[in-house]
Amino acid sequence: MSSRLANIFRGSWPLSFKVPLFVAILMLIVSAAISDRVLSRLGRTQELQLQQLASTYLDGLSSSLLPSVVRDDVWEVFDTLDQSKTQYQGVNVRWTVVADRDDNVIAGSNPVQFPSQSKLPQKYSSGFPSGQFMSIDKVVGTALLHRPLTYQGKEIGQIVAEIDISGLLAERSNVFWTLVGTNTLLTLLLGLVGFVVVRRMLKPVAILAEHFEVVSQGSMTAIESETISKQSLEFRKLFNRFNELILAIEERETLATQLAEEEKVASLGRLASGMAHEINNPLGGMFNALDALKNHGTNLDVRSRSIRLLDSGLRGIRDLVRSTLTSYRTDRSHRNLTPNDLDDLRLLIKPEARERGLELDWNVDQFEATSIGAVPVRDAVLNLLINACRASARGGEVGFSARLEDEMFVADISDSGTGLPANIREYIERKGAGSAPLDNRSGLGLWIVKRLCDEMNGALSVVRSAESGTIIRLRVSPKVMEKRDAA
Amino acid sequence: MTFGEPSRRSLLALSGAYISSGFLSVLPAQTQQRPFQFGLTPVFLTNDVELLTKLSAYLSRAISLDVQLVQRRTYEEITSLLLSGQLDAAWICGFPLAQYLQKLTVVAVPLWRNKPLYQSYLIVPTERNAANIDDLRGDIHAFSDPNSNSGYLVTTALLAERKLRPDQFFKKIIFTYGHRNVVRAVASGLAQSGSVDGYVWDVMSELEPELTSRTKIIRKSEELGFPPVACLRSQISSDTVKRIQAALVGMRDDPEGKDVLKLLRLDGFAEEPDSLFDTIVAKMQLVKGLGT
Repeated sequence: MSSRLANIFRGSWPLSFKVPLFVAILMLIVSAAISDRVLSRLGRTQELQLQQLASTYLDGLSSSLLPSVVRDDVWEVFDTLDQSKTQYQGVNVRWTVVADRDDNVIAGSNPVQFPSQSKLPQKYSSGFPSGQFMSIDKVVGTALLHRPLTYQGKEIGQIVAEIDISGLLAERSNVFWTLVGTNTLLTLLLGLVGFVVVRRMLKPVAILAEHFEVVSQGSMTAIESETISKQSLEFRKLFNRFNELILAIEERETLATQLAEEEKVASLGRLASGMAHEINNPLGGMFNALDALKNHGTNLDVRSRSIRLLDSGLRGIRDLVRSTLTSYRTDRSHRNLTPNDLDDLRLLIKPEARERGLELDWNVDQFEATSIGAVPVRDAVLNLLINACRASARGGEVGFSARLEDEMFVADISDSGTGLPANIREYIERKGAGSAPLDNRSGLGLWIVKRLCDEMNGALSVVRSAESGTIIRLRVSPKVMEKRDAA
Repeated sequence: MTFGEPSRRSLLALSGAYISSGFLSVLPAQTQQRPFQFGLTPVFLTNDVELLTKLSAYLSRAISLDVQLVQRRTYEEITSLLLSGQLDAAWICGFPLAQYLQKLTVVAVPLWRNKPLYQSYLIVPTERNAANIDDLRGDIHAFSDPNSNSGYLVTTALLAERKLRPDQFFKKIIFTYGHRNVVRAVASGLAQSGSVDGYVWDVMSELEPELTSRTKIIRKSEELGFPPVACLRSQISSDTVKRIQAALVGMRDDPEGKDVLKLLRLDGFAEEPDSLFDTIVAKMQLVKGLGT
């Protein structure tokens, strides 16, 4: 029970419920303690009053009965007891019996119950321990009184009486239930008030939590100024800080987007340079072939070799131009990923690899066409390949493999670098991290990959990160893509 | 307890009597005359203040002399006061009269149901299955007074006929010193049986039926002389006794007297001979013969 209660206070129960519950529990404890004190005090007072009343009754009876008991006058004893019923109505005597010192009943107020000349039952004749004259039985609701009758220093008899204390017990019970009722009502009332008050007090926290929730989902909304103006000073300050934070994040994101655009332009520049280089390389051969054709075109062998060289060079240029067009055309409409797209990637990354003196290990033989969108996958893989090239030392190797696993596109990009820093690895694997760049150390390429991943609802994971190199895996599900496209 | 300080009415009546009889010269001396001392045994309704007040007032007016009612707890005390001359007359029981017939004589006898007779009843609790005195052996038995005829002598004589004394026949005997108390003792279960004045029980059954209904009569005695008003034989011819006798006998013809009789549930008082109590004397002799 206590552990369950502890779980409530530690767990995910709302504060607006926990605080009133805590107040109600405190109230219950306080009211139970107060009730216990009141009842115990009432019990002591009642017992004291009962003792005084019983003592008065026994004193009065003793003085009236003594002469009759000395004379063993049955009638006088009975008459005294009978008249005492009206004299001591407030005592609520059930019965009284007077016996001699040998426990023989002289007379009782109810002679049928205690006939004269009969023996007083043992349970009544023995008295009570430690000189007490009263014994209370709360279960039956009675108090038993015992008083020896002493004449000239000698015990000549005894009075035994039973008092009905059910009225006192009922009064005590009434007080108890009144306390329980009142305390329950007060606890419920205060709990309710506490619930309302705490809920009202925590409302700003709920507003803040809602906005943070929205932020975690990728979009940011500032708290309205009308809402802020209704809050207390502390929460006004807090809400203003939140709005400032949102503004800062938005500014940072805008800046990051600008940087990304600049990076894109820079990349385009590098790509264009690479392309020019790629085009320039065959161009030399082609011009040589053209010169050979001009000078020795009549020679069949030279002509056919030159034409083959021209054809090969032009085809290479054509493929490069086509793949560039495919990657950077403005039409972003949905197009399924095909093995050709992966071949294009090889063409696109080749200049970067060559420039850095890297070997490309390309393995896409097991890949077949799939319904996954081609453009974001190509963009993401290209960025990862560029990063892999940059991470690898000259003379190293950059690997790429792609396959379908249960219709899911899986691509592994490997490098021969020295492994990923822990913060970058965490950034890569954290879901939703694409809402902002990590920092200036991570570059914008990785951020673009994360954004594309989020867009595709894909997942990035680090398969290996060691001094011998890193393998990053990209997984994209076609179904999710379809849903996104349908939307 | 004494009642009847000289009331204005009695003093006026007394003054009128003296004026009419021409004793004006001795008036101061006459006003010093001792009040008439009238003893009452614990008979029926002795605690009725209204009855005592009215009885005292009536008698005082009727005999033109202040009457003081003297009450004691037992018959014996009243009888002793009467025998010692401290009372001028007393309403006693037939048994003390029978005991002291040589010294006491009847002044007047109450009439109940127009007869100077009454009975003694043997009573038991209603739920008890008893038919006669023989069924009461081993009881705790309630008597009224050891000098009461109906509340002691009649039952004792009945046992004497069986050659038994009460202490031999009953487990324990209780004296309650009042016929009403006998009914209370039996009704409450304190006593398993009791001897009670039949007149008292009958009148109580009208006034306190819830009490008498818890008892039942298992034997009624023969009719016996009703408890009489008696005085010392030597005083029977005195003026004051004659006047009290006349007042008692004339009570039924006087409105104030009728009120008293109504409270007592009696029809009047009559002059009766001592021989009315011969049956009680006989019972007394029977009991004495057994050595009780």
